[in-house]
Amino acid sequence: MKDLRVLFRWLGGALALAGLAAILAGLARREVVGLFSGDLALGVLGWGAFVELLVSFGVAGLYDTVHAAIVSTLPKVKSSGLENLEIWAGLGLWVVGWGLLSQGFTGPEAAASPPSAAVGTPLHPRIAQYRDFHWGTLAAYGLGFLLAEVAMLGLFVLLVGKGAQAGAEGGGLGHVTAFLIAFGLGLLLAALGGFLGAAHSGRLSTPEATIAILYFGLPVPIVLSLMTQVGWLMLHVGVHLREVAYLSAQLGENRPELGYWLVFGALALALVLGLNLGFVATSSGRLDLKLTYESFIANRHVQVFRPRLLLSIFAVLILGIVPPLVLYLIVMAAEQVVERTRIRHLGLKDPLLASEALHALKKRGQTPTAMMTTLSVGGVGVGVMALIIVLSVMSGFELDLQSKILGTNSHGVVLKYGDAMPEWREVMDKIAPVKGLAGQTPFVLNEVMISSDGNISGSMIKGIDPESVGTVTDLPKYLKRDGLDCPSCGKLEWLTTPEKIVRARLTPMGEPMLDEKGGAAVDWPKPERKSGLEDDPLIEAPKPDATKVLPGILLGKELALSLKVQVGDRVNVVSPLGGELGPQGPMPKSRPFKVAGIFYSGMYEYDSKFVYIDLHQAMDFFNLKGPTGLELKFEDVDNARRLTRQIYDLLEGYPYRTRDWGEMNKNLFAALRLEKLVMGIILSVIVIVAAGLIVATVIMLVLEKRKEIAVLKALGVSDGGVVKIFLTEGLQIGIAGGLLGLVAGLGWCLFIEKVGIKLDPQVYYIPALPVRIEAFQTVLSVVVAVLITFLASIYPALEASQVEPVEGLKSE
Amino acid sequence: MTPFLELKDVHKSYFLHGKRIDVLRGVSLTIEKGELVSLIGSSGSGKSTFLHVMGTLDAAASGTLRFEGRDVFAMNDAELAELRNQTFGFVFQSHFLLPEFTAAENVAMPGLIRRQDRKACDLRARELLDRVGLLARADHRPGELSGGESQRVALARALMLKPALLLADEPTGNLDPATGEGIHQLLREVNRDLGVTAVVVTHNETLARLMPRRLRISEGRVVTAEG
Repeated sequence: MKDLRVLFRWLGGALALAGLAAILAGLARREVVGLFSGDLALGVLGWGAFVELLVSFGVAGLYDTVHAAIVSTLPKVKSSGLENLEIWAGLGLWVVGWGLLSQGFTGPEAAASPPSAAVGTPLHPRIAQYRDFHWGTLAAYGLGFLLAEVAMLGLFVLLVGKGAQAGAEGGGLGHVTAFLIAFGLGLLLAALGGFLGAAHSGRLSTPEATIAILYFGLPVPIVLSLMTQVGWLMLHVGVHLREVAYLSAQLGENRPELGYWLVFGALALALVLGLNLGFVATSSGRLDLKLTYESFIANRHVQVFRPRLLLSIFAVLILGIVPPLVLYLIVMAAEQVVERTRIRHLGLKDPLLASEALHALKKRGQTPTAMMTTLSVGGVGVGVMALIIVLSVMSGFELDLQSKILGTNSHGVVLKYGDAMPEWREVMDKIAPVKGLAGQTPFVLNEVMISSDGNISGSMIKGIDPESVGTVTDLPKYLKRDGLDCPSCGKLEWLTTPEKIVRARLTPMGEPMLDEKGGAAVDWPKPERKSGLEDDPLIEAPKPDATKVLPGILLGKELALSLKVQVGDRVNVVSPLGGELGPQGPMPKSRPFKVAGIFYSGMYEYDSKFVYIDLHQAMDFFNLKGPTGLELKFEDVDNARRLTRQIYDLLEGYPYRTRDWGEMNKNLFAALRLEKLVMGIILSVIVIVAAGLIVATVIMLVLEKRKEIAVLKALGVSDGGVVKIFLTEGLQIGIAGGLLGLVAGLGWCLFIEKVGIKLDPQVYYIPALPVRIEAFQTVLSVVVAVLITFLASIYPALEASQVEPVEGLKSE
Repeated sequence: MTPFLELKDVHKSYFLHGKRIDVLRGVSLTIEKGELVSLIGSSGSGKSTFLHVMGTLDAAASGTLRFEGRDVFAMNDAELAELRNQTFGFVFQSHFLLPEFTAAENVAMPGLIRRQDRKACDLRARELLDRVGLLARADHRPGELSGGESQRVALARALMLKPALLLADEPTGNLDPATGEGIHQLLREVNRDLGVTAVVVTHNETLARLMPRRLRISEGRVVTAEG
């Protein structure tokens, strides 16, 4: 009979699966799966939708008729009873399969013994009172989770909206701050829901938690993920949540979903933490979060905070495994020698003392659990250390890149629909009072080709106002080397006063030097070239005014290298569209410039692509009535988005438009951030492995202490008290490892920062490994590690609480 | 007047390989405050199970247990834990002291679990250890105590929170007759001087004879022992 029941289960399961497959195949062949996908999904997710599923199958059966009636013009699907066979057969199989399955589980159990003497007596109250589902708990979990999500979205939108409005008077909140506040509230609400729910039922109630997360929590991230794809949602929901989508999209290139699901995961984690806390805190019958005897017992069990243990793990983290091991062996050997000599000496006086000392020496070995504890602490430490170092180095690279990009580019721009902004002075005056604006400068941007005798190169040309450009970009700084003027790099002022340009000349050693006359404004003629100006045969006729001074131009270091020019040399700027209309369309236009300076930003992209000329030269060259727009710099880069929007509002929108640097370099920074996130997740795997070690350690502790757990229960420790004891043990391991990892990681970061690890500048364009310790992510690494270890020790702690007192109290 | 401890029709069975073994078949018993009761029975007669059910360490299948009028079987886990902590005291055949803690800490444990002040607990523990004659060994670990000493520490631990009911499961089972007699002497003193109601399970008939009330468990029922 028992074997038959097992057969029923397997056969029933297989039949139901086959039936479902047949139904799906039938629907797929009719290409109507999409029509019923919602019903199917609901059916798969939960039993409640069983009827829904049946209805959908019924509709599927009728589909042909409906289809034929409505769209008779389309190629008609053959409609016959046989055609629906697979769906109906599948449905039949499905029902039969489930029937068998239920038989397999509910078949009658053969009575093993005759009825006991207890027949007829009232049911034991504990069994009579037993409830396996608490609706109140489900409500607390579900509503807590839903409320957390909704409140988080609402608060975030509110704060960001407020921030944008309040920005005019100063104050207001950036996206990140608003997110952190809303996120904190969400975590708190989810944890609170979990706490109240578990406190209500007096246990963990995992089924309720699962249902709450699936049915109450899941819809929100699903709706958010579909928001951008479903037009209806976009219209009704998306418009209100566009700031949410914007922030989320910062995480990954056009992947806001990643952000939603990460937050969802964090909220689910908060719920789990909250319900654990609720169970543990209330299992003694009242709210009790104290850890007096629990930590007293836990301390004796794991003994993590011994200086010797902490010191040795720290040594391993900082120096690696081998050197401390060698040191340890040497010290141990020395200690043994000393100790045994002492014992021999004692033995000469009193043999009893010697045997006692020898016994003590032998007893000092470590238990397996103590070894496991050490390993666990070390594992968590390594994980946290790796997280901190790698994230700090990545932050260093990011900061380096950001400073290079922002050094060359502005934090934001004001542009105008159409081509130029002749009224730029008025616009500048208008936005000048905006609080948080650090500087503004007009610019012209266009694409040209640069040619010299040696070479030709496509470039971005930028007309700048040398007076104010320094308030927005670091260009003046890039024209210096180590903060000093140098002859080979020229000067920014020479853009407007090209007649002062001093030619740089290289010494035989390759060192630049001034010519003998010092700072005299002499243009040294090149012997192989006749003269500076006259020989431009392409478009313009040789100018009669040979003494006219050429306007200045600034080139990037890499560009200057590839064009083989130095300060004072001549280059031609060719614009394919700038000239008059010829018979074959626009004629190219060329104009010679004299190199007034060579800048070095440290970013290859810019050093090889950008050239700067004076704003008025550029307007003249491109026949513009005004600059392309204004470049802006803000006091705080992170406020760029908010402030540019504020400026947009100030200029009353059209025809003006604004963009911030985040938008302009969206992909680059999104990729960087995603990379960091992925790196963090991958490195967390180390912590998770260490958490596995903690699970093993705590399980070993539980096994070792079964008898003691039974005794403690007999002495009146509640289930929650036992859980607290073992959670504390896991947590102690986690905290010890986390703190060691923090100290070691910071130590390594400081080492990298102060001493430095050299990089090949040819390859990396940066001389040494950059590192930037960000307090937030460092603290987050430790917190995440401790959280993971806490979560890891929940299972063994629960196992410990399940030990029955009688089981451990059997006399041996 | 409600009886101090009242068991009515308590059943308990084990299942071994699908076979049911009825250990307690409708035990009914009343114990008054201040009594000193011995419970004897052959090995496997269910003495220990009976004591565990009475001490809420094991769940019965049916029946009622009333302690000072309160329905103990209807209590939840938290209430049971509190009852065991504050009202019951246990002494087992093995001492079951916690090996990582000293004798004084072991004795103080019930007080710590009740979240009493650490210092006060230590003071009370030493007082109790003095009473069982082991003050000198207060800072020794259980591994450094002999069997009789450990059992005396266990008794002191059971008395830590002045329990109303002391349940002892063969407290002398692992000890030699002379040491066992000492423990029994101590139990009788505790009963007489502190007024603690005590139920002592034993298979030692001579020692049991010294108790005012003697019960015998046989065939899953409790009867008054003859002699």
